[in-house]
Amino acid sequence: MQIQVKCSCGEEKCPEWAILELQGVVEAQPSFKDHLQNLQIGSLCRPTSQETYTFTVGYHELTGTKVPLKKPMLVLKKIKLDTEEEKDNISSSMVELDVIGVIRQRILFKTRPKALISKPQPTEKEKACAAVSSMSN
Amino acid sequence: MEIEKSQPYGQGGAEAILNVQPNTSISIAYHHLFGPHDDLMLLELDEKLLPDILNQRVTLRGQPHEDAVLCSQSKTYAVKFVGTSNSVFLIPPSNLSIALGASPNPSEKDHDNSVVASVIKVVPGSMELVEVAPRLDKLKLLLSENPYGFDEVSQMNTELMHKNKGLYSWSDLVEKVQASDGELCAGLRALSAVEIDGYWRLLDENFVDEILNMLVHNVVLNDWLVSALNEDEVLHVLEADGFPRKIVRHCLEVYGSKVNDETTGGCTWRLEERPVCVHFARVVLRGKKMKLERFMEEWRKKVPEGMNASFDVLEGEVLTEKLGIEIRIYAFSVSSLPSVPAERFSKLFQEKPKWEWKELQPFVRDLKVPGLSSEGLLLKYTRRTQPSADAEPIFSAR
Repeated sequence: MQIQVKCSCGEEKCPEWAILELQGVVEAQPSFKDHLQNLQIGSLCRPTSQETYTFTVGYHELTGTKVPLKKPMLVLKKIKLDTEEEKDNISSSMVELDVIGVIRQRILFKTRPKALISKPQPTEKEKACAAVSSMSN
Repeated sequence: MEIEKSQPYGQGGAEAILNVQPNTSISIAYHHLFGPHDDLMLLELDEKLLPDILNQRVTLRGQPHEDAVLCSQSKTYAVKFVGTSNSVFLIPPSNLSIALGASPNPSEKDHDNSVVASVIKVVPGSMELVEVAPRLDKLKLLLSENPYGFDEVSQMNTELMHKNKGLYSWSDLVEKVQASDGELCAGLRALSAVEIDGYWRLLDENFVDEILNMLVHNVVLNDWLVSALNEDEVLHVLEADGFPRKIVRHCLEVYGSKVNDETTGGCTWRLEERPVCVHFARVVLRGKKMKLERFMEEWRKKVPEGMNASFDVLEGEVLTEKLGIEIRIYAFSVSSLPSVPAERFSKLFQEKPKWEWKELQPFVRDLKVPGLSSEGLLLKYTRRTQPSADAEPIFSAR
């Protein structure tokens, strides 16, 4: 079997995607767990002209930096091509991989979160576990 | 606390994240299409492979039961999934809908002008590439299923034969063998395969023997020089004996080399000592062990005049064993051994528990593992013992 790796965007035009990476998990309040779509996670701020960033999630603030990746990463999308004649009842669905983006840097938050206000913590300590609540609006 | 579910989806996207201006902030939200998106994968790769990928010169190859490999034009890479326990939020550019084939977000209006970047999925890890040796043993296995022999030549209706199993075209091989195009080509060359009627074939050894014998016979008959064979003449004469031109020419390529001689005109070939002598040694030794003296005698009889059957050319083709004062020789060809190092060494030590370096070297020098030197290979797969400082080292299984 051979899977063609395609690139519909073409060289030089491959759109750059972004990555925010933090330790642990972000947990939504239980009532939102199953419909996270459109929910706000937090706010990313660049306080100075340096590549230092803060990411505020609920009452927690993470501090991190933008780091270039040692090797680029490609975003691949698996596309199932339905073959028109299905031979011998074997569903011979062909697969293609399409390069839809490239990632060259990430914003990495590797420190533990800092509590912004001394209200009771929403969840456990260890991880960057925070209830998602609306920050603005 | 009021929780607002329908956050506005702005034009921010990845662009906004990558270009946050000092003293500003952007809002990070889950995308309206947020989900597991198992069809989205990350592949980490070397910068120098990027042009190959972006110009669509790369494929993934392998059968469903095999681990997939990624092939560029010239190299093969194993694909390894590396997981992470971090939360990796993947943020597409704002015009993602085109890439994902989704309808634009209905709530794209941004009522308070704040920029939003939306997370499409949390990535569990990425795929990494490790350069590996091409998996060419399978190529040999496939082509050995149905070698091309004399019966097929004499059979007028070749259509009939093609219905038989064990015939592989280039595109069949690409589907089945985990190697890049370049490595597959080199593999076919190393196996002396020839393309006949669109299928890549090995020539049956008996058939090759007939051709070479006929050639040697004609060398004597027509007073040809093994160092200057006229291609047209050779093809013409052997064709008259029923050997197809294409096959004979292929044999000239395998057992000879082209001589650039402008004075004679036409194409001139020189038969090469090593492959010709090795072929005849294999024929003599077929399936048996022989006393060395008897072997040498029979072998020299077969080798054409003008060629010197010297024992050196049999490096990597035979093994000898001592029984009392008698030395016996038998066929043991490096080309019949697996190319995966672990399997190769296991076969070697199965054949013979102890090897001197001089003996071992011809059977391991073709092993190539990206990132591992030949010393590294020996360290990994053998135990080296040296009874005294000036003694020859002995290699045995680890």
